[in-house]
Amino acid sequence: MSGQPTIVGTVAGPGDDPNEFVFITPAEKPIKTGEFITYSVSVDGDDRSVFARVTNRELIRGLPEGYLADPAVSPDTVATTLGVPTEDTELYRLTATVIGYYNTEMTTFANPRQLPAPGTPLSIAPDRQLETILPNLGCETDNMDVTELDGVAHIGWLLNRSPKATNIHLPIEEFASTHLAILASTGSGKSFTASVLVEEMMRSSSRASLLVFDPHGEYTTLADMQGHEMFQGEDGYEPDVVYYDSERLRVRISELNLGDVMAVLDNPSNRMQERLSTGWRSMQQQDSRTWDINDLIDRMEQLYGEDDASVGALEWRLRRSIGENDLFHPEDNVPLGEIVGPGQCTVLQMDTLDRRNQQLITTVLLRRLYRERLNDVRERDTAIEYPIFSLFEEGHRFAPASGDALSLGIMRTITSEGRKFGFGLGIISQRPSKIDQDVLSQCGTQISMQIQNPNDQDAIEKSVEAAGEDIFRELPGLTPGQAIVSGDAMNTPALIQVRDRRTRHGAESLSVVEKWHDAYEQQQREPTHSETADFGGGESTGMQNLN
Amino acid sequence: MTELATEETTLNLNSCIRIGSIISSNSHLDYVVEVLKDRDCDRPPELHEREFGQPVFIKKDVNGTKHAIMGVIYDSKLVDPDQGRTGPRLAQDDQERFTPGYIEERTTLVGVALLGTAVITDDQSITDPTHQMPRWTLEIDDTVYHCPDEMILSFHTVDEQLQLAYLDRLVEIAGDLGAEIAMTVIDRLRRLLAEDDPNQRVLNVVEQNVQWQAHEQRGMI
Ligand SMILES: Nc1ncnc2c1ncn2[C@@H]1O[C@H](COP(=O)(O)OP(=O)(O)O)[C@@H](O)[C@H]1O
Ligand SMILES: [Mg+2]
Repeated sequence: MSGQPTIVGTVAGPGDDPNEFVFITPAEKPIKTGEFITYSVSVDGDDRSVFARVTNRELIRGLPEGYLADPAVSPDTVATTLGVPTEDTELYRLTATVIGYYNTEMTTFANPRQLPAPGTPLSIAPDRQLETILPNLGCETDNMDVTELDGVAHIGWLLNRSPKATNIHLPIEEFASTHLAILASTGSGKSFTASVLVEEMMRSSSRASLLVFDPHGEYTTLADMQGHEMFQGEDGYEPDVVYYDSERLRVRISELNLGDVMAVLDNPSNRMQERLSTGWRSMQQQDSRTWDINDLIDRMEQLYGEDDASVGALEWRLRRSIGENDLFHPEDNVPLGEIVGPGQCTVLQMDTLDRRNQQLITTVLLRRLYRERLNDVRERDTAIEYPIFSLFEEGHRFAPASGDALSLGIMRTITSEGRKFGFGLGIISQRPSKIDQDVLSQCGTQISMQIQNPNDQDAIEKSVEAAGEDIFRELPGLTPGQAIVSGDAMNTPALIQVRDRRTRHGAESLSVVEKWHDAYEQQQREPTHSETADFGGGESTGMQNLN
Repeated sequence: MTELATEETTLNLNSCIRIGSIISSNSHLDYVVEVLKDRDCDRPPELHEREFGQPVFIKKDVNGTKHAIMGVIYDSKLVDPDQGRTGPRLAQDDQERFTPGYIEERTTLVGVALLGTAVITDDQSITDPTHQMPRWTLEIDDTVYHCPDEMILSFHTVDEQLQLAYLDRLVEIAGDLGAEIAMTVIDRLRRLLAEDDPNQRVLNVVEQNVQWQAHEQRGMI
């Protein structure tokens, strides 16, 4: 495609860090920070293309700032007056950090352990080569058409290059098995990016089994995938998008464990706890899995007598917290077979549930799913014989750093053990500092987008291994749709523009002004409200209304 | 003065006042000129016509083309031969420049730094000004003329754009008085230009730069 790469700069010498070098470019070869450049070096007798990332750019020769003293006078005019040359006079000094050469056996970057010699010519790394080696695609060559690979997710392209010039395809295997975190302030494009990944995973070449925990109802438009030719397979495949609204989200009481019940009860005393734990255990040991609160209370009365004050107090609490909560049901349980399946993306619409119930249903579902995955890997009977991937919006609600959520335990278990059992989690959050550190640091692939809050930046720094790299300095300045992808799915972090969605975006924020307009027009069409009031005999002063 | 910028006045280089003649040089761009006295001519230059910062020129025939070698008065020195035994050496030991030979009577010397050149037209005005260093050497006894305002303006204008490309060279040559000579030249140009001429603002920026640099060099900032 492209012949000899054009030389854009020349190495001047080593930089401050052992992996850094400095090079010089003239003004007409604009190179942005974050750009990938390459040079040739001989490693053990072989010529290798070494890649480096530009980390800094400073002007070392240009017009003096004094020429800018009057905004109405262009510095070029001052320069011309003084006979100073103005064309192509700028020289830039750039700093670059060596990433390494691509080792085709290890299918990752290897450090050449030597810096380029002064005078070494540098060129821009070719698009196709970067497409092959930046993501962790395991290619045994450093230059191929990665769109031909199976199981890749086209997430976007390098931000520093022209749109769609250098496309980044993430290995789905990597982020779906070693977990994914999408971290950014509200409005930066988390849900958008997650939806792009869902689209990619649901394509015919991957046919994933996905479960989206959607506390805000932001994923309603994923159904657009159905009937869209991009998602269809030659064998007639089409993704199955299933919506599960809160009416169908039921927790069978017997699925709760003692800890869950304790957590939903209001402040039980020690004695109550003791009574409940004995009673609950006894219920769990019986064959029937479909008992209700009455059965439990009967059992405790059998054990402690009908007049036991603690049992009485428990009864009141149990009826209020469980008996009167529609989420719990003696028999109904979300059938796992209905919510997961290959080629199926299920959206659990939890937006009408309160936070406690969201956590409860999540906890119970995760526990059940995890049990099935465990059974599968241990070759026991199971309802789920394939890996699954779950996405969580508001990840900090389900795995909070404060520890204050029922679901935290199972989230920790899955993030630390799930990779062995084919259970991957995708944690989305606008408050990384509020996510449990254990959970966050187990997310092997990270998509970090614009984030301002210093606490949240710190949290990213602590949990994201690559966060020390210069590229993360870009975080505060990113605009919606721009992201840094790092971790297991990448051989080196990259700053990307997330691609557009094939489905519509369902998480647009409410347009307040538009709503006001609509409401006003609505009112105009129903004039009854604005008709002049009939004051009748004139006695009414209007003040009466205040009484 | 400002009307000069707009009004077409006829410049006649033949009627320019003579200021003096070259008696020596300190370098290729730095000449010593003895100022004409009453005795030497009918119309010696008046004090304001040979003041610090006054542009001057010397006529030179080069290869059949008449040129004006442009310069500016950037220094002066008084010489009184009676004060010394064998006639003065004008320069102090640490100052190489400005070193005339023997002089027999009380004389005013001025230093002239060369700025550039222009071509003298048949109708005795100038064209094609350049602020590049003049390549040609001047001679002892070459006459140095007072540069009229129209000529100053025309020497400093290329395509309606103000030119001061010699400025850094001039500052070098003038040494201790570098900033002052630059400022005086700028001031003179400012008075020659119309008040609303956009080049006024360019001059301001240039002046600021010169001033700033001078203060910096002199340790004020
Ligand atoms: N990759 C993208 N391309 C185009 N627009 C985007 C992209 N990502 C985000 N946006 C825009 O930003 C808005 C906010 O994105 P969203 O994913 O809803 O933010 P978040 O979930 O982080 O609050 C979207 O409505 C969309 O207009
Ligand atoms: Mg969102």
